[in-house]
Amino acid sequence: MTDHTTTRRSIPGSRRLAVVGVLVVALAAAACGGSGGRNDSSSGSDDTDRVVRLVTYDSFALPEDAAAEFHEKTGARIEVVAAGDAGAMLTKALLAAGAPEGDVIFGIDDSLATRATGPDGLLTPFSPQPPAGGAIDDRLRLPGEMGEQLTPIDRGDVCINVDSGWFADKGLVPPGTLDDLVDPRYRDLLVVTSPVTSSPGLAFLAGTVDEYGERWADWWERLRSNGVRVRPSWDDAYNTDYTVSGGDRPLVLSYASSPPAEVVFSEGTRSEPASTIMGDSCVQQVEYAGLLAGAEHEDLGRKLIEFMLSPAWQEALPLTNFVFPAVTGTPLPTEFQRWAVLPESSRHVPATEVGAERDEWIERWRSIME
Amino acid sequence: MNRRRPDQPVGRVAVAAVAVAVAVPVVAVLGRALRIDGAWSLDALERILSNGRTWRLVAVTVAQAIVSTASTAAIGVPLAWVLARFRFPGRSAVRTAAMVPFVLPSVVLGSAIASILGPRGLVDLRATWWPVLVAHVCFNLAVFVRVVGAALDGLDPAIEDVARTLGATPWKAARRVMLPAVAPAIGAAAVVVFLFCLTSFGVIVILGGGSVSTLEVEIWVRATRQFDLSGAAVLAGIQVLAVVATLALHARFARRSVRARRGGRRWARRPDSVGEWTQVLAAVVAVGAVTVVPIAALVERSLRLSDGTHGLDHWRHLGAASAGTGLTVSPWDAVRVSILSALAATAIAGLVGVPAARLVARRPGGAADRVMLVPLGVSATTIGLGLLLAAGRPPVDLRRAWWLVPAAQALVAVPLLVRAVATALRELPPSVSDVAATLGAGPARRWWRVELPMVRGAVVAGAGLAFVASLGEFGATVFLARADRPTVPVAIERLMSRPGSAGFGQAMALSCVLVLLCGAVLAVVDRGVDAFTGSRSDPS
Repeated sequence: MTDHTTTRRSIPGSRRLAVVGVLVVALAAAACGGSGGRNDSSSGSDDTDRVVRLVTYDSFALPEDAAAEFHEKTGARIEVVAAGDAGAMLTKALLAAGAPEGDVIFGIDDSLATRATGPDGLLTPFSPQPPAGGAIDDRLRLPGEMGEQLTPIDRGDVCINVDSGWFADKGLVPPGTLDDLVDPRYRDLLVVTSPVTSSPGLAFLAGTVDEYGERWADWWERLRSNGVRVRPSWDDAYNTDYTVSGGDRPLVLSYASSPPAEVVFSEGTRSEPASTIMGDSCVQQVEYAGLLAGAEHEDLGRKLIEFMLSPAWQEALPLTNFVFPAVTGTPLPTEFQRWAVLPESSRHVPATEVGAERDEWIERWRSIME
Repeated sequence: MNRRRPDQPVGRVAVAAVAVAVAVPVVAVLGRALRIDGAWSLDALERILSNGRTWRLVAVTVAQAIVSTASTAAIGVPLAWVLARFRFPGRSAVRTAAMVPFVLPSVVLGSAIASILGPRGLVDLRATWWPVLVAHVCFNLAVFVRVVGAALDGLDPAIEDVARTLGATPWKAARRVMLPAVAPAIGAAAVVVFLFCLTSFGVIVILGGGSVSTLEVEIWVRATRQFDLSGAAVLAGIQVLAVVATLALHARFARRSVRARRGGRRWARRPDSVGEWTQVLAAVVAVGAVTVVPIAALVERSLRLSDGTHGLDHWRHLGAASAGTGLTVSPWDAVRVSILSALAATAIAGLVGVPAARLVARRPGGAADRVMLVPLGVSATTIGLGLLLAAGRPPVDLRRAWWLVPAAQALVAVPLLVRAVATALRELPPSVSDVAATLGAGPARRWWRVELPMVRGAVVAGAGLAFVASLGEFGATVFLARADRPTVPVAIERLMSRPGSAGFGQAMALSCVLVLLCGAVLAVVDRGVDAFTGSRSDPS
C-alpha cells in the first residue's frame, strides 16, 4: 500500500495510459470475439452433426443404445439439458417460453400438466401415435387440449420405500398405511421430498389430499410433529438420507421401481432388493413429453417425440429410468417382472383436479411444513 | 475541488444509463406484481401480505441478520483491536488473510462450509441455521477488521496516555476511552454486515437445504420453483424497502464516522506480556480458522474420491460434461464462460463507472452518488428476475442474447468501481487541476492528461474488484444464465444440488478454480477491497 501512495503521487506519462486503454479495448474485444467465435463454431457444427436438445430433470438417464439408433435414423445427436427436479425444470422452461433452451421437454407429470399447458405458450401442439402395432395405454392420456400438447411416455408410480432389513433388525413391523406414518412408533423415520420443487413430492401431496379430503392438512401437521424430514429433491432424500444409501431414515418417498433399481445398480453385490414398497402410499405418476414452442430444431423435435414411442426407446426405459413403458405390450425385463409391481391400489388423481388446486395446496403445505 | 468545473456530459449519460438499467428490472418486477392478465390488480399484494408465512419469513430474515451481525461483531471487534494494537511479525499478512473469505464468491464459501458441515463432512448440519451462521461470520469478519481497524489506527495515542495517567487500567482505558472513540466505526461496520446478511443468497441456497430460508431465497423459490412470479415480485418489493431502510441507517453512521488520520505517532506497539502474546496468538488462530480451514477443506474434498482414497479424478473430469451431474456443458466450459462474461462486465462497468465516478466525486451525497448506490440496494435476485421478465417482452426477445449476463453483472459491479475511483478523485489536491487550467488546459485535456493518470491505480483496483464481483455473481446470473452457458457459480450450485452424485467433487474442484482466479486478481489489486468495506486506508 505504501508503493500505491508513491505511484499515485508521480504523474505517469501518456504511455502508461495508452497501455490501460489498449487493455480495456482488448478485454472488450476478447469478450465479444470470444462469444462471436462460439456462435460461429456451434452453427458450423450443426451442419455436420445435427443436435436435438431434450430438456428434462436431473435424474433422467438417456438410454444410450436407443439414442444411437436415433442418431443412425436421423443423423441427429440427442443432447440432454438437465434443469433440476421436474418442478424446477418446468418453471425454468416457462420463464424461457418462446425462447426455449431445447426442442423437446420431457418429464412433465400429471400434477404439472395444467401448468405446462397454461397461458404461457410453452408448447406447440403435437401428439403422435406410436409406430404401427403399438398403442398408448388409454388410462395415461390427458383430456382435451392438454392431450394435444403432451404425449404420455411412461408411468412410474410414486411410493414410500421401506428398508425391510432395518425394520427386521429393530424387530419393528413396517408401517402399512398412511395413518401408520403419523403413529409415534414411526417417529423420525420418514424422509419425503418437497412438493414445491419435486414432482414425486407433489404427486404424494395430491395422494394425501385424495385420501383425507378436507382433512389433509391435519394429517400433514401430525406428520410434521412425528418428525418427518423434507428434502428439496429426490436425490437429496434417496441418496443421502435413506438408510439403504447410508443415511439415517428407513422410510423414503421414492418410486415403485426403486427396488429393482437397487439390484441393477448394485452390479452383482445384491441379488434381492433391500427395499419393499408401502402399497397404501402409492400414487400414479405419468411422464409426458411435449414440443417446445419456438424450438430451434422443431422438425427434429417432432422426430424425437415419435421415437420416444418406438420399441427401441420404450423397451430401454425400465432399466435406464426405472419406469413402466406407456405403450401397451412392451416386453418388461426380468428384474421388473420379479420385483417391480405396479400396485393395484395406486391412487390416481386426475391432472385437471391437481391443476385446479395445486397452487393452493402448495401454499397451504408450505405454511404447515416450513 | 474546483467549484466552477464545467458540466460533464459523459458522466451524466453514464449515471442516467445506470438509473435506466436499474429501473428496467424493477419496473418489470413491479409490473408483474401489480398487473395480472393485463389489468391492474392488488390480488398478489393482498395474497402475500395476508399470508402469515410472509411475516414469519421477514422476522426470520431480520433475526438471522441480527444474530449473524452480533456474532461477527463479538469476534470481529476484539480481532480488529488486537490487529490494530500490536505489531508482530506477519501482522500485515494476517490482516490481508482476514480479507480472504470476504472476496470469495458466496457460492464458493457456501460449498466450503458445506464440505465441513454437510454430508460426509465433520458433522452433517444441513437444513439448520448453523452452517449459514458460520458462513456469515467468516464472510463478514473482514468488514469489522477493516473498518474498525482503520478507525483504531487513526486514534490519537495521546488519549490512551491521558487515560492511563489519570489512573485507568489498560482494560478500563480500552473499554471506557478507546472503544467509545471508535463506536461510530463499529456501528457503520455492523450496518454493512447486517445489510449483507439481510440480502445473503448464495450461501443460503447452498447451505439451506431447502428448509432454511430468507426473503431473498423465498423470492427465488417462488419465481423459479413455485412459478409464482407475482408473489415473488411482491416479496422483492418488501426486500427493496428493507434494504433502503438499512442504507438510510448506514448514511447516519457514515457521517459520524471518524476519518483515518495519517502520519503522527503510531499507536500500535509490540506485545510485552504473556497475556498480550496470547491475544495475538488467538487472533492469528481465528483468522486461520476462517481463511485456511475453508479453503483447505475445499481442496481436500476436491481430491477425495467416493471410495475414501484421494486422487485427481474430479479435476480430470472437469474437461467433460459427465452424465448425471446436472451440467450440460463441461465444467471447464463454465470457467471459460465466466471469464469472458466477467471481462465483458468489467469493460461495461469501466466505461460507465469511470465517467460516473467523476460526477460522484464532484458532489458527494448528490444525486449521482445516490443513483450509484441504488444497484447495491436492489437485491441481486430482483435484478435477475426483472431483467429476465423484461428481456422476454416483445418486440425483441433478448433472452438468448449473450450480453444479458455481463450486463447484469456489470450492474451489480459498477457501484464498487465507482466507489473506488470516486474516493481517489476526491483525495486529489485541487491545486493540480487548477495549475493545469492556468496553463491553458481545457476540461477534457485536464481529465485525460492530469486527473485520470493520477487515479490510475484506483481505476485498476476498481476494475479488479468489478471483475471479481462479476466472476462470483450468483443472485442475478442464476436467473439469466442459459443451460448451455452456465457461469462457474451457477455450475457449482447445479453440481451441489445433487449431494449423492460425483458432481460434489467436481463442485469442490470448480470452487478451487474460482478461489485461484479471484486470488490472482486480488493479489494484484488488494487495495480495491477497501472500496467494498468503506474504509479508506490501511497504514500498516
